[in-house]
Amino acid sequence: MSKYVERFNTPERVLHWFVTVTFFTQLLSGLGLYSRLFVGYQDFFGGGQGAILVHKIAGILFLASSLLLFLNHRREISAMDDDDRRWLSKMGGYLSREPFQENNGKFNAGQKLFGIFMGMATLVLGVTGIVIWIPLSFPRVVVQLSLLVHGLIFVLFIMVVIVHIYLATIGNPGTLDGMLWGRVTRLWARKHHGKWFREITGQEKAG
Amino acid sequence: MACKQWNRLDADKTANQGSYENPRDLTSNLYNRIRFVEKADGGGMKWLFLNERCVHCGDAGCMKVCPSPGALYRTKEGFVAFDKEKCIACKYCVSACPFNVPRYGADEKVAKCNLCADRIDAGMMPACAKACPTQTLQYGPRGAMIARAKASKRAIYGEADLSGLGVLYLLDDKPEVYGLPDGPSIPASIFLWKDVVKPLGILGFWGSIAAVLFHYVTTGPKRLEEDAPEKGGIRHE
Repeated sequence: MSKYVERFNTPERVLHWFVTVTFFTQLLSGLGLYSRLFVGYQDFFGGGQGAILVHKIAGILFLASSLLLFLNHRREISAMDDDDRRWLSKMGGYLSREPFQENNGKFNAGQKLFGIFMGMATLVLGVTGIVIWIPLSFPRVVVQLSLLVHGLIFVLFIMVVIVHIYLATIGNPGTLDGMLWGRVTRLWARKHHGKWFREITGQEKAG
Repeated sequence: MACKQWNRLDADKTANQGSYENPRDLTSNLYNRIRFVEKADGGGMKWLFLNERCVHCGDAGCMKVCPSPGALYRTKEGFVAFDKEKCIACKYCVSACPFNVPRYGADEKVAKCNLCADRIDAGMMPACAKACPTQTLQYGPRGAMIARAKASKRAIYGEADLSGLGVLYLLDDKPEVYGLPDGPSIPASIFLWKDVVKPLGILGFWGSIAAVLFHYVTTGPKRLEEDAPEKGGIRHE
């Protein structure tokens, strides 16, 4: 019996890292528009106009790929069961060193909320981004609100991404393998996503 | 005409829209124009005129949002001038202006009245004030202009608004009648964006980094080793 189980297949992993690359392109090209503090980052793109051009192109790619990622998983993340509610009430067991017996499907409640946030935030950034792209085609108040909302959602997005990166790397050893190599250890799967592990292995009880 | 001549602006083709007021709006080739306000006055009507143009706010929304250093800048006399070479065509200034003044033309660069900054540099007055035959447009040190305005006993517009406008108006009616905002301010969403979300965002970024690092060294990661396979980690509740 293999020591590993498949967590994400190749198309899923490629899509995830495509979204990642477009996101960081958006971050680097957009920071100089967010604040003059970061105007130096625009030099990566040959100045402000280059940064805006890249922000528009990578923006379309990010909008499309991130929405696709959301839609691919919409069924897995759209419903919460009792185990999910227990996970949420214990904050996933992240607030103490006491062992927390979790019993998650493929995604835990936090990952579900994360996925929903990413889908919604992508949509809002995309819609407000298009308004900011062609501001003269919209009433001024719509553009003003879009600038505010685009900045606000960006801030929330970056904060959520920081937590995402932490929890998927050093915060949960063994997790990153699932997105790099595609496979995770049986031990990891059983501990973090027991319900899912039993589904894919056909085992009723772990152990 | 003097403005167009000095700033080398092309003429725009306009259409007769049933009013003497022509052209009807500022364009990237038209830095100032006369707004005609027709107002019923007893049995007849009266005309109010306003020289519509950038008013060079002391606290300028366009400068607050401009992401390109030097594209919009304050001259040593205190006016808001622009440098098309540095404009990156983001058009944020269009949204941030309380008076809806900046325009973009085919060159995709900001265009607005810069009070003939080059003339002022050379010790001359702006072309509009120089050409005005009735001295309706006057140019001078702000303090002296305010003193002269006060002496006329008419309503002054812009003395303290937005930390003081560089262009002051003497009005014969309420500002709204002229189409000027009464108590102009930078649009609320622009203020929230630049003065609330931006600083809080930088705090949120470093706060998130600090929070995950703090979590790592206090609670620490979820380790797999302490939950050996033979113990069986899963229990049904």
